[in-house]
Amino acid sequence: MNYLFHILVMINIYIILALSLNLLVGYTGLLSLCHAALYGIGAYITTLLLIHTGLGFLPSLLMAMVGTALISLIVSIPSTRLYGDYFVLATLGFQIIIFAVLYNWISVTRGPYGIPGIPRPAIFGLIFNSVPAYFLFSGILAGLCAWLLYLIKTSPFGRALKTIREDETAAAAFGKNIPRLKNTAFAISAGFAAVSGALFAGYMQYIDPTSFTVMESVLILSILIIGGTGNLKGPVIGAVVMLLLPEILRFLGMPDSIAANMRQIIYGLVLIILLRYKQEGLAGVYRFQ
Amino acid sequence: MSLLELNNIAKSFDGLFAVRDLSIGFEAGTTTALIGPNGAGKTTLFNIISGLLPPDTGTILFKGENLLGKKPWEIAEAGIGRLFQDIRIFGQMTAEENVMSAFPDQEGELVWKTLFGRRRMQRQEQMLSEKTKDLLEFVGLESKIHEPAMELSYGQQKLLAIARLLASDAELLLLDEPTAGVNPAMISELIDLIKKLPDQGKTILVIEHNMNVVLDISDWVYFVDDGQVVSFGLPNDVLDDPEIRRAYVGV
Amino acid sequence: MQLFIQLMMNGIVMGCLYALIALGFAFVYNTTRIFHIAHGALYVAGVYLFYTFYNVLEVPLVVSILITLPILALIGGFLDWSVHQPLDRENSSLLVHLLSSLGIYIVIVNLIAMIYGNETKIIFPGIQKTFQFGGIILTSIQLLTAVVFLIVFAGILLLLHKTDLGKKIRAMRDDPELLSVLGVNTHGLRLIVFSLGAVLAGIASILTGMDVGMDPHIGFSAVLNGAVAVIIGGVGFFEGAAAGGFIIGLLQSLIIWQTSARWEEAGTFLLLIIFLLWRPQGLFSSGQRAEEVTV
Repeated sequence: MNYLFHILVMINIYIILALSLNLLVGYTGLLSLCHAALYGIGAYITTLLLIHTGLGFLPSLLMAMVGTALISLIVSIPSTRLYGDYFVLATLGFQIIIFAVLYNWISVTRGPYGIPGIPRPAIFGLIFNSVPAYFLFSGILAGLCAWLLYLIKTSPFGRALKTIREDETAAAAFGKNIPRLKNTAFAISAGFAAVSGALFAGYMQYIDPTSFTVMESVLILSILIIGGTGNLKGPVIGAVVMLLLPEILRFLGMPDSIAANMRQIIYGLVLIILLRYKQEGLAGVYRFQ
Repeated sequence: MSLLELNNIAKSFDGLFAVRDLSIGFEAGTTTALIGPNGAGKTTLFNIISGLLPPDTGTILFKGENLLGKKPWEIAEAGIGRLFQDIRIFGQMTAEENVMSAFPDQEGELVWKTLFGRRRMQRQEQMLSEKTKDLLEFVGLESKIHEPAMELSYGQQKLLAIARLLASDAELLLLDEPTAGVNPAMISELIDLIKKLPDQGKTILVIEHNMNVVLDISDWVYFVDDGQVVSFGLPNDVLDDPEIRRAYVGV
Repeated sequence: MQLFIQLMMNGIVMGCLYALIALGFAFVYNTTRIFHIAHGALYVAGVYLFYTFYNVLEVPLVVSILITLPILALIGGFLDWSVHQPLDRENSSLLVHLLSSLGIYIVIVNLIAMIYGNETKIIFPGIQKTFQFGGIILTSIQLLTAVVFLIVFAGILLLLHKTDLGKKIRAMRDDPELLSVLGVNTHGLRLIVFSLGAVLAGIASILTGMDVGMDPHIGFSAVLNGAVAVIIGGVGFFEGAAAGGFIIGLLQSLIIWQTSARWEEAGTFLLLIIFLLWRPQGLFSSGQRAEEVTV
């Protein structure tokens, strides 16, 4: 039973990651491959605040959101000037650079040794210690994030982002300040990724850089593309499907040793097939043309 | 005082001149046409005015203000709007969203106003939604209001682009071949629409190949060839010139 | 000082490998503008195919290579035919091609991992023979790498500049639409460039495998280094891709010399970002800018 709740906690964490990346990919049309790095920065800032200062979980979370959003501007301001593959490559570059910092800056992050002993969140005296309790906690946060992102996406700001996705030149000719909009979207998506980071840290009670690699960024992006972008349903369905699939495989009796690889193979095939025949993914609305 | 004044604009790509030494100007409330063969540099000129392309040399004054070096969105805010030759509507957005996106000064485009100060934003959205309905009625697209723009016909997309342009509340409208590819029945509708615009305080600069349209709507005509102004004057004068007629089949 | 020269020599040998990978990537990227992440998968497939023939089936060395490379070429061409050309018929954007290529990479690499396992495998067990040049030590594989690179590079230059095929490839880089209008079989040409690219990846990976062994996950950073090399050298310019490979090889050696931590990849990508922002056309080409407002 605890295992079921464990999966649900992870689903909540990935829902926030997918919905926040959706703001960039599905609404602004920016394919970013550095989301895992931002997720990681959020996790590390939260962790360091929780452990080294007396701050509680929620204040640490909020500061991590702000910190990650600000750091993301270092990535977005130069990168959003670039187009097409070059933008993707630049975000990939930042993902790799940020990972290297998390891995090598041992005095602060303890590098590959990781940071253990992260306390479970305590809100107004309530400690969300058990896994089912954490599911509740993460579910509330995921719901809140989803709601806030929904407000943002259906606002005139969200609409302006969509015009950039559709035709950047026309958007500019109709008064949209392209860099400001892109960078703001980037910072917002980074801020929400930090929430996932904080949730992850509080749940695992241990973090190290290997959870925030390029492949993790690829996974989050795959969730989006398979689930579908441009609306609320797609990313949620994507997160659920991608996280349940390994469990289904295990249930079908596939040995663990090849399960991980088989799962990836399925992701890869589904990706290729969807991109060819159903670009809006399982439940999304936006097609990449 | 002229509304727009371009002086000695030149632009070359890889050594080939698209615009050589072009100077044009006109006053508010007028409709000016740019005619001339394809490749004469007219769309390039529009791109320069819109701020999408920097000129190599020359000056651009709009209401006395220098436009050079301004970003496209700043030029849009200054009051210059564009109808693109290749339409460029926002395909995966509905007709309503296309028009609503173009209104200037939207409060909700600042994210924090989406979260704090929602009431004001929602009131503005409500008002813009009404205006959008009016604009779509004006161009005859009210039945398509919630259709994705990419599912409209070519002519309907053109009308949508015009509604979007009107939403931007721009003073100077740059129309790039508004009647191209539109069936003849709709052309007369379009012409009627365009002729109503100066009454609403708009100034028009239009690129057109259809000489009947040019004669119908313009106050002044520039004949542009090979990146330069070859002739300027009243529509009939310019178009009656045998030289021009010879260089430019179509009347 | 000696250490410095030793590291520079190692950097040059690494550069040979990166240059080969970059050239393979460039064959596809320059002509089709497809960001061929699957190139990394072909790289991994190459060395594992070789391993299967040489280590598992105990086929003689040269024969193993001679069987592996054509199989790789076929797989490369197959990828274009089965995935990218159909996407092109639907007028897909380049980002869709990139994401599909990523999908292909994931499938192939994980297939290999499923069959062979995730651990490092060795092709030549034991210690290699080394040669000394005035205090600098180079292993036999390192020397072989340099020699193979020179031969292959010379071959590529010959192909590109002295053959009809090469002319067509260069023309495709400049204006693919014109080429098909002129009646040249661009579909066939694409299959060829994909195949050639795959072969180059295989040569690089087999050499690397012989030197230090391999695991299924080396392909990603290989293809990324190749892509960075192509961009630094100048997109469209094949010789530039090779030059870019050497720059990266030397840069990484320099980084290793100066720091003891794992900063090489970060350094490579920092260089990429600097280039994307300040000289996107690369060192040697005068091609398209990476930032432009589309008009």
